[in-house]
This record gives sequence, structure tokens and C-alpha cells, in this order.
Amino acid sequence: MIIIGEKINGSIPAVKTAIENRDAAFIADRAVKQTAAGAHFIDVCASTAPEYEVETLKWLIDVVQDVTDTPLCIDSPNPRVIEAVFKYANKPGMLNSISEEGDKCDVLLPLMAGNTWEVVGLTCDDRGIPNNLETKLDITKIMVEKADKYGITPDRIHIDPCVMALSTENNSMLNFAEEIRSIKALFPTIHVTGAISNISFGLPVRGLINKTAMAFAIQAGMDSAVMDPLNREMRETIFATYALLGQDKHCRKYSKAFRAGQIGSVGNK
Amino acid sequence: MLKIADLGQFVIDGDEQGIIDHVNLLIEAKTDPIAIINEGLLSGMNVVGEKFKNGDMFVPEVLMAARAMNAGMAIVKPLIADQDMPSLGTIVIGTVKGDLHDIGKNLVVMMLESAGFKVVDLGIDAKVEQFVAAVKEHKADIVGMSAMLTTTMTYMQEVIKACQDEGLSVKYLVGGAPLSPAYSEKLGAIYAADASGAVDTAKALTA
Repeated sequence: MIIIGEKINGSIPAVKTAIENRDAAFIADRAVKQTAAGAHFIDVCASTAPEYEVETLKWLIDVVQDVTDTPLCIDSPNPRVIEAVFKYANKPGMLNSISEEGDKCDVLLPLMAGNTWEVVGLTCDDRGIPNNLETKLDITKIMVEKADKYGITPDRIHIDPCVMALSTENNSMLNFAEEIRSIKALFPTIHVTGAISNISFGLPVRGLINKTAMAFAIQAGMDSAVMDPLNREMRETIFATYALLGQDKHCRKYSKAFRAGQIGSVGNK
Repeated sequence: MLKIADLGQFVIDGDEQGIIDHVNLLIEAKTDPIAIINEGLLSGMNVVGEKFKNGDMFVPEVLMAARAMNAGMAIVKPLIADQDMPSLGTIVIGTVKGDLHDIGKNLVVMMLESAGFKVVDLGIDAKVEQFVAAVKEHKADIVGMSAMLTTTMTYMQEVIKACQDEGLSVKYLVGGAPLSPAYSEKLGAIYAADASGAVDTAKALTA
């Protein structure tokens, strides 16, 4: 499971305050803790008013790179903001995100030619998030074709099929699993990612829905996730799911995780 | 003997068939259709709104309740002349230009309708001209705007300016993840944090 740590995002109230006060220690602490918890990428998203977004994102990038070598996931709804701060990353990471909305692909894909940067691709376009599998697959194909023109192979693309809330769409998990399977069938080396916590919007005990959904998604082939790497229950579910699916030989990773105190009740070891 | 007030429980339970059966029985018994709406359907939905706000009911249950209420509305509406339809006010609402997010906005629409507002939904990617035209056509009391992106929330300013330039006297209700009470105040709008907050705010603005 490729973990994209989601804890440095200006839409989180405590992070928003830290950004406003330029509290570097607070941001740095979140970067260090996510790295220690096994994050493969650290997402940085400013979520400020547009006129401050570039300078805020640059500041976040500087603070995070000061304390960790974990690659960044540069996150903005505006591709020109990503383009503007791209040069401040001191090693290849991930761009978050392209889709078929506006000219996102035209702005961001050229940045990824001739290097090892990866990218999140959302299956939506100028009409919104499609409510059917065919359109999501069509958008995936278009993005893969556009990426290919810049020499970007599918294994550098993380497709996010945009999971819907179970509270408003009763088949959201079943649809999500079908989307994951179909995308993987089309492009076996592509990654499928997602912010799984969207699925529990509007329901009580969201963590329970989230971790159960994670197990189903992993079984369907999801191999990348935008999540809180410090969420112990989610981490436990991921270890258990891989073991149960026969993808953790002799359950060694599961057992090691226990000995390392990563799973099981705190203080058990 | 069936009472109008009993309809409320069917709404709360999200029992669509129960609503259909009992609204039909009440109409056969010559019950006032407006009373069916006010004392039956809407009063049930008010309880749902309260329970939702307090965390005792959840989105799927609220959706079921709204569906049941709307099934009842569909039966009584044709029996009431347009000008007699009870309404707390008219709200033109949309997710602003460049923004395609509508789960939250749809929930707000549903809650406002359930509370007794007439709602004109412009959908997603709604442009200045659409807001202005709809406010004029429906003589709206409130313009509701939703945005999920920092890049699109600034568009709200343009909508408000256009409405002001046209001399339209409306109030502005805004919401969405990137917005804050402070930013909304700067726009000259009132911020609502969630769907039940939007209903409370809309009620206060039209009171």
C-alpha cells in the first residue's frame, strides 16, 4: 500500500491556524510523524485564498523538506499553482492532481517529462464526477494517452475513481470495487488510489466504515491511498487484509508489525 | 380516527408507502391539504431536522424521510392553488462556476425544501447570469452559493456584485469546505457550516 499522508492540508482547522501563524514547528511535527508512520508521500495543500496560495505552498514545501526526505505530494485544485511551486521540490514526488477538467493535463503533464514524478489522476471532467463506470474508464484512457505523449508510463499514474458517499449512494462501495477492478484490468501496472474516508460522509462511527471499506478496496486491487498514516486502526486493517488475501507470505509483515508495536493494543509489546 | 399529526411519524420513519396511504385517507376525509402539509409533513420533517442537527439521525435516514415527505407533497400539491402553497420564502441556489461538487449542496437543497422553502436549484457550475436571471424570475429572497475549492469560492463575490448592480434586494447564504465565517462576512454573506445550519440561517434571514 502506497500511503499518501493527508495531514498537512489547510482545510484542517488546526493546520489552517498553523499556516496563518507561520507555525513551522507544528507543520514540521506532522511531517516527521507521518514519515515515521510509514508515509511514502507527504501531501501539502494550502487551501488558502488564491492570492496567497503559491507563497503558502512554497512555505509548506520548505518546512517539510527541512525535516524529512519523504517525497512531497503537491496538492492544489489550480494546476498553475502546482506549476509555480514545482521547482521548489528538491526531489521527484507526486502531483495532485490531473483530471479532464479544464487544461490540467496540458499544464501538469509536461512537467513530468524525463523524470520520475508521479501524478494523481481523478476520473472527472468538466461535467463533474461521472455516475457510471464507462465514463470513468474513458477518462482514465484519455489521461493515460495524454501522459504517454510525454513518456509517462501508467506505473507513474495513480487513478482516483472518486468514491461516493455511502449515505447518498447505496452501492458506492460495490461501484468503487468494480471501478478499481476495471481500471486494473485495462492497465495492469497503473495504481488505483482514493480518499477512502469520503465513503463514510454523513454516517456515525466513520472510522468503522472507513477501515472496512479499505479491506474491500484492497481486495479489489487498490494499492495506493490518501489517508492519515497515524490512524492505527486503518494501519491494522491494511496489514490484516494483505495477510488474509495471501499477499503477505507466511504473514511475516503482519507478525513483524505486531512485534514492532504497530498493530495490536498499545503497550502489548 | 387518523389525525394529521400522525403523519409526522411516517415522515420520521421514512415510510413512503405509509405516507401515501394515509395522505390519501386524509384527503378522502376532506382534510384541508394545507393543514396536511403544515401540521403533518413539515412538522415531521422539522423533527427530522432537529434530530439530524443533534446527531440522532444520519444522512441516509434524512434522505428517506425527505423522500417520504415528497411523496406526500406530490399528492396534495395539485389540490392547492399556486398562490396558496405555504412557503417560508424562495431560495435560488447553486454550486458556483468552475466547481462541480454537489453532494453537500444537494443535501442543503433537500433540507431547505423539507423545511418549507421554495428552492430553485441551478445545479453545478452556475454562472452569474443564471443567478441573476433566476432571482428576477422567481423573486427570490435568498441566493445560496456553494464552493468546495479555494479557486472557485472567489466567484461568489462576482455573483453578489452582479445582483447588487442589478439592484436586487436579496440576502446571501454561502457554504462549502474552504469557506469560513470571516471570509463570508467579507463577501457580505452569511456562512452556514452544514445543511441544518443552512436551514436555521435561511429561516432567520426570511423571518
